[in-house]
Amino acid sequence: MSTRRDLDRLSVDWITLELMRVAYATRGGFLAVRDPRAVVWWYVIGALAPWFTYDVGVLAVLFAAALVAALAARIGPLLLGLFLLGIVGDLVYLLVMLLILREDPAAVGTLVLPVLKLGTVSLVSMAAFASLDPEKISDALLAMRAPEILGFAVSYGYRMIPVLVDEFRTIVDGHRLRGAPPRGPGLLGWRLVVRLATILVRSFYPLILNTAKRTRTTVEALETRGFTAAGSVGGAGRALRLAHLRFTVADGALLTATLAVVTLAYWTGGIM
Amino acid sequence: MPAADDGPRGAAPAIEVRNLTFRYPGAERDTLRGVDLTIAAGDFVAVVGGNGSGKTTLAKTFNGLVPHFWNGDLSGSVRVHGRGTRKRSVAELASEVGFVFQDFGNQLVRPTVRDDVAYAPLNLGRADWRERADAAVAGLGLEPIADTFTWQLSGGQQHLTALAGALALAPRILVVDEPAAEVDPARAAEIYEHLVRLNERGTTVVVVEHHAELIARYARSVVLVDDGVVRWHLPTAEAMARREDLESADVPAPQVVEIARALAPGSPLPLTVDDCVAALALLADPLLTPPAEAAASRDAALPRRSTEAGSGPESGSRSGFGGASDGLRNRAGIASLRDVSHGYLTIDGPRSTVVDGLSLDLFDDDRVALVGSNGAGKSTLLTLLAGLALPRAGTVTVDGRDTREVSAPELAGTVCYLVQHPEEMFLQDSVAADVAMFPRGRRVAGADELVARVLDRMDLTGVADRDGRLLSGGQQRRATLAIALAMRPRLLLLDEPTASLDLRSRDDVIGLLADLAEHIRCTVVATHDMQLVAEWATRVVVLDGGRIIADTTPAALFADDAVLARARLVPPQAAQVGRRLGLSPVPRGVAELVARLGGAPAEAASPAPDVLSRPAESGAAIAGNVAGTVAGGKEAAR
Repeated sequence: MSTRRDLDRLSVDWITLELMRVAYATRGGFLAVRDPRAVVWWYVIGALAPWFTYDVGVLAVLFAAALVAALAARIGPLLLGLFLLGIVGDLVYLLVMLLILREDPAAVGTLVLPVLKLGTVSLVSMAAFASLDPEKISDALLAMRAPEILGFAVSYGYRMIPVLVDEFRTIVDGHRLRGAPPRGPGLLGWRLVVRLATILVRSFYPLILNTAKRTRTTVEALETRGFTAAGSVGGAGRALRLAHLRFTVADGALLTATLAVVTLAYWTGGIM
Repeated sequence: MPAADDGPRGAAPAIEVRNLTFRYPGAERDTLRGVDLTIAAGDFVAVVGGNGSGKTTLAKTFNGLVPHFWNGDLSGSVRVHGRGTRKRSVAELASEVGFVFQDFGNQLVRPTVRDDVAYAPLNLGRADWRERADAAVAGLGLEPIADTFTWQLSGGQQHLTALAGALALAPRILVVDEPAAEVDPARAAEIYEHLVRLNERGTTVVVVEHHAELIARYARSVVLVDDGVVRWHLPTAEAMARREDLESADVPAPQVVEIARALAPGSPLPLTVDDCVAALALLADPLLTPPAEAAASRDAALPRRSTEAGSGPESGSRSGFGGASDGLRNRAGIASLRDVSHGYLTIDGPRSTVVDGLSLDLFDDDRVALVGSNGAGKSTLLTLLAGLALPRAGTVTVDGRDTREVSAPELAGTVCYLVQHPEEMFLQDSVAADVAMFPRGRRVAGADELVARVLDRMDLTGVADRDGRLLSGGQQRRATLAIALAMRPRLLLLDEPTASLDLRSRDDVIGLLADLAEHIRCTVVATHDMQLVAEWATRVVVLDGGRIIADTTPAALFADDAVLARARLVPPQAAQVGRRLGLSPVPRGVAELVARLGGAPAEAASPAPDVLSRPAESGAAIAGNVAGTVAGGKEAAR
């Protein structure tokens, strides 16, 4: 057997860490310093903007602006890589379509539209959520009168990511070590693929049971720490928690500038 | 609330339980059966009891989780500072009764330490939540890690964070369920020191605990819960004398009590090592060398094997002892690490170094205990040996194969690695299927008989069809050991096999480990449990900062203050007492200590290959020390 490398495990480590970096906005960026409500509104504007036009020019400008915003928000190599992978796939698809539909270039134009629209929305989403840590998201949701439970779910969901990843890895390792080893890779490695898929499915049951066991304590602890009481004390907890939020002039400027960029994009596209 | 219910709060006991009966919804029998208990304000109470005795349920009645969260059948009353808990919500009670759970890691729900500590005061709408959180963080010395993500903390830090989270509400009563279950002895002592400080400032502290040594040292009174009722509530000294009661509750008396009982019957029972040494000194045994003199002579005679900080990769076994061992021992090696370094990516970017230029050889018949403080690199070393991780530098050879050349599944037939949390080993829906997973997957001939034999041997036939996750802690350990046994490995690696087990299950696991020796050529256990080290290991490898700082025998380790301090280890009490009395080598268990001091003859079962006959007279003590040194040196040459 050829020499093993530690890529398998290291890359899992790297992906986990990268996820955490994104989740907790450790890289900073122009949106990370803004009031979370402004970021959410920014996201709403950016995500809605591409849906009111069919003009390739407008969409291209919006796409470019979104790309710049995503880079400025420091979304990190993992998200960017995944995004590029998706875009490259789309481009290959377009190229094939171009060959087939040589007669009718306008049809290709209509195929570009959804790619640009979805690409723009993806970039804006990544920029916004890579800049908001779970606390900011739940604060923003709370400030916008979303139910308390929603904000908590976001925050607790993030909290569980590293726990789940760790648990999942231990379980997959257990399957790899104790389960039946594959008899050779098979044609195109199909046996390995089947084995991997089987392990993933079989890991689900222990993973969920173990997590459920953990959360039992969490639910009790939440009770003792006043989670359900937070809603019943006349919103005092909410006011306290949101006291630190400040919607400043800079936040207003950000939203104004964003609206200006969107308007500009529509104007250059000649739709207005 | 009726006026009478409020009462004069200063005078009311902290907790008053009257005729309390409780049955969990759907349970077949009552968990609590007529409990009567009064805990005075300002007391430091240890609640003891066997598994399933109802002690945790009782603790949960103090803060209203029973019956508000667990609304089973409840009769009787619980009053906290004179006011009944039935009409008050859990959240309301939280300002009076702080609660730290046994699996405290799951109690933390916010991303950073400071957020988590501030969580309860925020929820309850306390305007001064920030000051409260800061005070709680400062009170436990958590400022340096206040902005760390909770999932990055070590177990000890997580526990302190959970404690701070409870203290942020400034409760007058604090309930802590098994504070010492998952941390090393030094950290357990640290947590207790914090509790003592809180208690001195007027907080009533209730701990659920089964480490008699900690109870004896810190608690003021002890409550014994047995089968759903409180048997007695006594001052600690009196409680410790009720040996049979304690043992029936899986709380064997502290070693110092056993020692004093054997050697100084009739004297008041000691609660600490100091008391015990003093009591024995009163006997004025002519056989004992004055401790100071003996210590001096031993220190002079003992070779300094532990390398000091910063001695480079040439530390531990490789430099002096690895080489010598080849000549001294003709036992075959099973695994070796050469200049191995390993680390992990961190969230801030740079790679951490967890194992740093480490070299180690493992031999047949070795029972190796891998000790060191949290984060010293124990678990990483185990994953490297199991081939789950490949070293960033250096080579790991197991059974003649470089782990880089073999895949981890191929290596699994040779090395078995049991992870710390047993539930992560249960991949199937029954214990039998889990045990059978490896032999069936590998198409081992006679797999079925093998599984049946293993289940029988590990006394698991009765629970073979049950899901491993639903077993008790001790049974779960048994089941994971059965899984390992069915894999028939040559090298067995265990991570913290005795953590969070009650003492009876722990002794059970230690016994099983000793039994496994005939089937497994070499066993390596990463552990904080010094009693496991003392009773089971023949070799101790002490890690600190990813390097080996000592590779020696348990007895020699327990005599080496520098290494003990650096690795934050606390020897068992018998070893401490023996050491203070100038015995060398240091005795490992009570039986050995008693035998050497001329008490009742020790049971032959005591696993102490390097016991020397006790020096016949005081002049011979030094000769004994020298002999001990020779024996110790030979052991150390592994």
